[in-house]
Amino acid sequence: MKQKNARGQGASAFMALSAAALAIPGIVSTAQAAAPIAEAELGYKASAYREADIERSKLAAGSASRYEIDTHQLRFISPLGRASDLAVDFSYETMSGASPWFIMPGTSGNGPVQVMSGASIEEERKDIQASLGHYFSSQHAAKVLLGYSTENDYQAVNMGVEGSIEIPARELTLTAGLGFSDDEIEPTDPEMPDRIDSASRSSTTAFVAVAQVLNANTVVQGSLSMVTNDGYLSDPYKKVWRADLSNTVADARPNERQQLVLNVRMRHYLPAVRAALHVDYRFFDDDWDISSHTVDLAWYQNLGDNWQLTPSLRYYSQSQAYFYGPFFYNARSDGYASSDYRLSPYGALSFRLRLERNWGEFSTNVEWESYRAAASLALDDVGVENPGLVEFDILSLGLKLHL
Amino acid sequence: MASPCELRLYATSQGFADRAAEAAIAEVDRIEQKYSRYRHTSVLSAINRAAGGDAVTIDSETSALLQYADSAYQQSDGLFDISSGVLRRAWNFKSGQLPSEREVANLVAVLGWPKVELTAGKVRLSQVGMELDFGGFAKEYAVDAAARVCAEQGIAHGLVDLGGDIRVLGPHPDGSAWQIGIRDPQQPTQAKLVVPLKSGGLASSGDYERFMVIAGKRYSHILDPRSGWPVENTFRSLSVVAPLCLLAGTAATVGLLKGVIAAPAWLDELGLPHCWVQANGQTGGDLGPWQS
Repeated sequence: MKQKNARGQGASAFMALSAAALAIPGIVSTAQAAAPIAEAELGYKASAYREADIERSKLAAGSASRYEIDTHQLRFISPLGRASDLAVDFSYETMSGASPWFIMPGTSGNGPVQVMSGASIEEERKDIQASLGHYFSSQHAAKVLLGYSTENDYQAVNMGVEGSIEIPARELTLTAGLGFSDDEIEPTDPEMPDRIDSASRSSTTAFVAVAQVLNANTVVQGSLSMVTNDGYLSDPYKKVWRADLSNTVADARPNERQQLVLNVRMRHYLPAVRAALHVDYRFFDDDWDISSHTVDLAWYQNLGDNWQLTPSLRYYSQSQAYFYGPFFYNARSDGYASSDYRLSPYGALSFRLRLERNWGEFSTNVEWESYRAAASLALDDVGVENPGLVEFDILSLGLKLHL
Repeated sequence: MASPCELRLYATSQGFADRAAEAAIAEVDRIEQKYSRYRHTSVLSAINRAAGGDAVTIDSETSALLQYADSAYQQSDGLFDISSGVLRRAWNFKSGQLPSEREVANLVAVLGWPKVELTAGKVRLSQVGMELDFGGFAKEYAVDAAARVCAEQGIAHGLVDLGGDIRVLGPHPDGSAWQIGIRDPQQPTQAKLVVPLKSGGLASSGDYERFMVIAGKRYSHILDPRSGWPVENTFRSLSVVAPLCLLAGTAATVGLLKGVIAAPAWLDELGLPHCWVQANGQTGGDLGPWQS
């Protein structure tokens, strides 16, 4: 909207009137309006995830080429009657390549080196998630979720419920939910020495979220989740180098993990440039001593002729698990040990660029992401970088069809 | 509401559009019934019946609308006054007769927004005979509410028009603006000028629909709540564009009361694009095809 000469008394009169108008419940749409989705949509997305080869100087043995994942995702959403909606997501992934196995001390002067698994891993994963939402009124909604996932060596079921209440007078939406998942792991090669035959783990999540409309162009959301994981939380395919044994032992992690996740999101629309700024911050903390910070900035720029370009940048930094080490000189008194790069201290930067075009009945998009993790990107100083830290690119093509 | 109303919505299916239209019409009906002066069962009638008596408990929507009226009163130096409807008792534009000075003065003594006691969740008209009238902004509010309902139903391209009070939900699907005709006061079936609008609200206020000429002098129905007499030297019509139809309507109403001298500067200061038609047919303002 044109705002010329908006200054002085006139500008304050306009602000006062606008503020009073925006305080009227229901005069502008809230971002979280409790209404079922209005039209059916079918989406398809194909992605190619490619990890960069591990540097030769960091590789002790095994394949230098790492993981490749090709993903096909189908998404269907549809209204069901007047007060319900349904969403079904199906994904099919094929994975191949080598993954970090264990880390050995390097020769003097150099850092530790990675031993990779052979490049023989060939896996596929299928995952289906369905959710059913019901809107009791424009202010009360509930949702049930159900999912199943299967891999060569892994099966998982998950379920969840959530409810939300809108308080229009305060432009506020409160949501709370509970989730549960049960995973069964059955390694494909139990004949390997000290490989487990099978194991299970479960996790329970409870969350509360609040969304507040600040004005017609700004929404903030916050959420707090508590997650409890129980059972076999180690990685059956990873090992740890023990210098005192000159040999490896199995990756061993505690059987319980309590996590806390805090998310804060801000969405601000700038009508003058037809763009929206998304700022997300995530704080993670668990009783394995890992805490992490994530900042994600995205700029959704509407261009002419129904094009939208979205550059975004994500920064991540985490501290290490208390039982992590690239390798160990001798056994820890608690018996735990892991050299998994995902439990190591590191930071990461990722850049994404997405281009979308709306053609009316359907829309198409292409997205590219480039991700790099390194110890030097961490907020805290890291003594020894894990040689298995990953670097990858993802190229995705998407199609959305309005039915 | 006794004026031509129109909903123009783009949707991917007829059923989808029908559902949005149905919900929007239901919302307009709800607001009309709640704030109509003519319905004895309306919230407004309940408030007016209690004039001079006890405070009436009101819901959050009514309370916010009254807060808005309060803000508009403050920002317009008392020109926007929803208690001024009582002046109708003296002014009958069909009669061709002027009211007596005393009659008008007696009504001016009864009206006045400062005599309305607005507290948390309650409103009280402090004097017997006082009356609130939402006619000056309920329709504009209904336009915004109907637009919000359509947006919630997923409509991204459309227009809500309640008797000339308009809110655009987004441009035509090809990105082009809606062409909104501003009525010619001399020939109300024709457009004097066309305003392109891609988003936001547009509202008009005019003095040409009801007036009387007595002894060569024109008396319009635009009454200054401070004097109780028609405003002199104002526009035949004034149209304002604002992010919300409600804001556009309030600005157009106040602008007409301010008159040809003060209104343009006031609207410029508010930063709201506008256009007017004067008694001699001359047009002006920064909206319209001469500016594009």
